[in-house]
Amino acid sequence: MIVVTDLTVRFGGVTSLDRMSVTFESGTCGLIGPNGAGKTTFFNVLSGFIRPSSGTVTAFGENLLSMVHYRRARWGVRRTFQTEQAIEELSVYDNVAMVQEHSHRGGSRRDDVLSAISFVGLDIDPRTAVQTLGAGQRRLVEVARAVVGRPRLVLLDEPAAGLPDAETGNLAAVIRQIPARTGALTILVDHDMSLVSACCETTAVLDFGELIASGPTADVLRDERVVSAYLGTEAA
Amino acid sequence: MLETTEVAASTRHRTRLRRPATRTLVRGGVIVVLLLFALLALPQLLSLYYVDAMTEVAIYAVVSLGLGVLVGRVGLVSLGQIAVLAVGAWVAARLLFATTQPYPLVLLEAGLVTMAIGTIIGLPALRLRGLYLALITLMVAGAVAIVLASTNFPNGGHGFFGYNGSLVNIPPIRRPSIATSDPAYYRYAVVVAILMFLLVFVHIRTRPGRAWSAIRQSEPAALAAGINTTMYKLWAFALASFVTGVAGGVYAGAAHYLYSIDFPAQNSIILLAVVLMGGAYSLWGAVVAGLLSQLLPALLNNWGVSNDWLTILFGIGVVQVLTTAPRGLADQVPKDLARLGLLLARLVHRPAATTAEGEAP
Amino acid sequence: MPSWQDFQPFLVTGLALGGVYALSGVGLVVLYQATGVVYLAFGAVGAMGALIAWSMISDGIADWICWLVCLLFSGAVTLAYGIVFGPLLAKREPLVKATATLGLLLVLFGAMDLLWTTSGGETRAITLPTDNSGFSIAQIQVTWTQVIGLGVGVVIAAGTAAFLRYTKLGTAMRAMANDREITATLGVPVRRVEAAAWLGCGVLAGIAGLLLADMVALDATTLTFLVISSLAAALIARLRSIALTFVAAIVVGVVQNMLVPINAVSNYNDMTPFVLAAIALLVLSRRQVLSRSREDT
Repeated sequence: MIVVTDLTVRFGGVTSLDRMSVTFESGTCGLIGPNGAGKTTFFNVLSGFIRPSSGTVTAFGENLLSMVHYRRARWGVRRTFQTEQAIEELSVYDNVAMVQEHSHRGGSRRDDVLSAISFVGLDIDPRTAVQTLGAGQRRLVEVARAVVGRPRLVLLDEPAAGLPDAETGNLAAVIRQIPARTGALTILVDHDMSLVSACCETTAVLDFGELIASGPTADVLRDERVVSAYLGTEAA
Repeated sequence: MLETTEVAASTRHRTRLRRPATRTLVRGGVIVVLLLFALLALPQLLSLYYVDAMTEVAIYAVVSLGLGVLVGRVGLVSLGQIAVLAVGAWVAARLLFATTQPYPLVLLEAGLVTMAIGTIIGLPALRLRGLYLALITLMVAGAVAIVLASTNFPNGGHGFFGYNGSLVNIPPIRRPSIATSDPAYYRYAVVVAILMFLLVFVHIRTRPGRAWSAIRQSEPAALAAGINTTMYKLWAFALASFVTGVAGGVYAGAAHYLYSIDFPAQNSIILLAVVLMGGAYSLWGAVVAGLLSQLLPALLNNWGVSNDWLTILFGIGVVQVLTTAPRGLADQVPKDLARLGLLLARLVHRPAATTAEGEAP
Repeated sequence: MPSWQDFQPFLVTGLALGGVYALSGVGLVVLYQATGVVYLAFGAVGAMGALIAWSMISDGIADWICWLVCLLFSGAVTLAYGIVFGPLLAKREPLVKATATLGLLLVLFGAMDLLWTTSGGETRAITLPTDNSGFSIAQIQVTWTQVIGLGVGVVIAAGTAAFLRYTKLGTAMRAMANDREITATLGVPVRRVEAAAWLGCGVLAGIAGLLLADMVALDATTLTFLVISSLAAALIARLRSIALTFVAAIVVGVVQNMLVPINAVSNYNDMTPFVLAAIALLVLSRRQVLSRSREDT
């Protein structure tokens, strides 16, 4: 369970997050909102790249913000990024192994890595260099990096961006199984509402840095305030 | 909690992970043959003039190796590696005059002191990004150059700086007892170079190398994967400084007499140019860089052509590499001369492939 | 410790040099703002211009024509580089753009050594007619050249600041510093604005080359790497503020020269720009936020 209390982030004159308070219970939670709403800023706070002006984040009872950024992975935070790809010149195995070796808490590396690769459905030789893979497979490598070992909090930032529908469906199936397999709490940010509906039991909505709705996904997506925040964007 | 199908798949892949590719073995064999040739046959075949040039090639290949680690592996540009080389040479010269320590120990100490200095300077500098980091290395190098011009290089005098301005007969910097002649010293230099390349090779193939790849791709993503990026960047700085310091020690023995005009500012820029042209990412690129910066000038000198043409060529080379490299300074795709090497390799491989086809079931 | 009397002449030279550093620094900053390029070849192109002028003067051509040729040369070379390689590298990170100018530096450096060999022979010098005439302020000797040095620095700094703020072209340059793409969609002729910035910077390089050749030395290496002093000032101003560049340049020039009469540090006075720039870079980077993108510096 992640409890966010009064989280505020200010850059100069811009308030990116405005007293955001929300609780993510368990399973897979969605985080949606129009562009610039603060979703990536929130992830950056969780990753430790941005220090908030005020507020707290308590993750599974521990104060997340007091940890140095690179130590959070060892604690169990995993993240995928909107644009960053898996490391091209390394193999699939090395990509996933790297996360495991810097954040492992016991267990066999080879087993962890290979089972993560199988879990996401990548049935290829792990020694394949990532630069030879297509976009969909690279995304799966990133998801494998996010689930290897013992993650506690998995942050997925627009994992379906740029993927065709068929591969998005594939990705959705994998994401749905993450909590069951790892016990981690997963937060999914995406603009694809069908993906969010398919994967997330609960969803929170940000608009201009403020939380405007949260609760069961179906209810949230029908909420008037959410629809009007998205005015101009196609609803699911 | 692996499913049976997952276990089967992973076992299948596990066994595939263990067998090394035949291509790697062949490549390794070629390298060993080339090295043996360079060590044993080359000094016999070349005149003393070219043996000296090849010694410089060995030295600058190591310096290029250091810069290649920074630029090609981590994505950090240093515009002051020649100043680092000068520091290494200074330390080695000081120790060689002041003590009777064996040469390998002196080289090691030169490397370690240079590494310490490089790390201390790197620590605050690493907070800077890309351009600013490059510029601060330029600034520090400039400052070091001025200090060296003032304190001069050790020439057998006493005191901390070991410099005596009024000495008439300056003693030459000694060489290892087993390698006093030029050809013998050349072999010594090549052996040291091989050791430095091995050191870097081991780094690249293990944890630091993977971390560096991650950092070069995206520092935030690396942090999110749990990599302490500051530590690994510092490690790269330390490694580059160490090998360059050792190279400086070898330089001291090669040159016998050191002067600050041996380390002009433009050489740091030329070094960057040849590293980019040879390919910052591959270890071969460092060798190519050494050849470009030390053998070509020797050849041109012999033929009566001015070295300035090379400077112009390197300038064009920098711009060409940067405009054609699709992804910044650290590009894995082979460029120019490296591409030429690929072409040659392909020519060698084609006849090999046809014989293999005949053997396949 | 030397007396104030001993410091005075160095204060004057420091101010004069500082003025030239300021004019160079401003050129670097404006070009960076308009194109994202730190023009490291600034000194080299000015040096070659000065050498060309010297050659022509030695051949007996009228002084002012030679100076004009110097400005034309540095302006033309800089403009040519900017027009060809600017667009090719426009989308790359600032580090790549700056490194590419090092290529130009090497080409010019090699050409200079080839055409004006440094081995033996007489030392070359550029003398301006204002070198030998001057005046005294309270027993300090000041030549008109030194006044020009400081004066040009002031005029260029003030003029550029005004230009950026009040003219259409200047405003366009400021807009491009912010975002090249968006500025283009606003209908600003981006390429033409960039060309203007490159040309202006190149001409300033020529002026600086002549003045530094006169005040310091007409030597390819010296002049090429003197750009670092101007760069130091520009970096202290974070490559942004014209006013700060001016102030920093004067400080660099004055401190550097005022250290000369102090025997203990006299040999090390040339370290001033390096040390000041390094300190500025480190201090000013303390508050940086880790950025994901490779677009910003």
